[in-house]
Amino acid sequence: MNNRLPLTPSQTAGPYLHIGLTPDHAGLGLEKQSALGHVDAGDITVTGTIRDGKGEPVKDALIEVWNGADQWLRAVADPNTGRFTFRATRPIGPAPHLALWIIARGINSGLHTRMYFPSESVDDDAALAALPESRRKTLIAKQREDMFHFDIHLQGDAETVFFDV
Amino acid sequence: MIKRLIPRAKNWHPPPLTPDYKTTIARAPRQPFVTLPAAETELTGPTFGHGDVGPLDHDLTRNFSAEGEPIGPRIIVHGRVTDENARPVPETLIEIWQANAGGRYRHMADTYLAPLDPHFGGGGRTLTDENGHYEFLTIRPGAYPWPNAGNSWRPAHIHFSVFGTAFAQRLITQMYFEGDPLIALCPIAQSIPDPRAVERLIAPLDMEATLPFDAMAYRFDIVLRGWQATHFENQPEGT
Repeated sequence: MNNRLPLTPSQTAGPYLHIGLTPDHAGLGLEKQSALGHVDAGDITVTGTIRDGKGEPVKDALIEVWNGADQWLRAVADPNTGRFTFRATRPIGPAPHLALWIIARGINSGLHTRMYFPSESVDDDAALAALPESRRKTLIAKQREDMFHFDIHLQGDAETVFFDV
Repeated sequence: MIKRLIPRAKNWHPPPLTPDYKTTIARAPRQPFVTLPAAETELTGPTFGHGDVGPLDHDLTRNFSAEGEPIGPRIIVHGRVTDENARPVPETLIEIWQANAGGRYRHMADTYLAPLDPHFGGGGRTLTDENGHYEFLTIRPGAYPWPNAGNSWRPAHIHFSVFGTAFAQRLITQMYFEGDPLIALCPIAQSIPDPRAVERLIAPLDMEATLPFDAMAYRFDIVLRGWQATHFENQPEGT
């Protein structure tokens, strides 16, 4: 490590992450506390489910969403269904995308991935162009009616691409 | 000028799959991570200001209840946030969460026998100052059992979330307490392969920062990924 300081290593966020990150989802009186990362404005709605290697929804996950400019938000999995939903401002530019960071019990280091939009020219994006077709599609949301659907698979044939950023 | 982060250290963070921590078996990605050819989006990140942090947010002995004090040993937890190049990370958001002195979380998913403390919430947040320093006042959390291998106990710990200036620096970790014999037995602490890295998470007693007749102090310094040398020394991190 040369003269560099040794990094602080990661640890799982565990099942009680809401207490510190989204207290309004912890219950037991914490819901009255303020939370950061609430965004209730934007022109798109994104919904999906994070699934483990058995196909089970990851009900204690939290996703942070960053658009690379000026919008950051947190979306929590529903404790009963595992589904997450958030509103955001659609990013602009060639191959627009959102950066996602996923934490949960059983995830030792937060997972970086990206969500791209359908019908954009994915050839404009070096990250997508470098992936085989079978894996590229794990990063592209599907549009149904007025919502974008983006399911995240931690394992299996449809395992989502996670990045070393 | 192209800014790049120093490549992520290998074999220092825990790998995704650590089977002794059983939940990782179904949740760890099995494919290798893909290196992003251009990670501009992740080289920026959200910023926070004093408007995001309330006056009592760093004081867990008072930020949940105005009616009384929580049970347990009062402690100060403080330290500095720097990057690998020892540059301070000023005005970055730190969020913490923890169990109460009996080892119980104020969370609907926690069903441990130990009681909730009516005067303790367990969450806090603060910003680092211009030198990267932060400080919390809290209650020393208790150890608690968890469903992993029949008779598993978590060492006392405080969860930390830190931002830095780039989304790629985002870190969540846990702080442990010097001298706790449960650290060596814990599959989560031991998910980190290198004992020198585990050592970075163990906060020593800091007698100098102790408040006499009030609170003991523990020191927990946090080091985030640094930038490759393309800019001048003695500037704050991220500039």
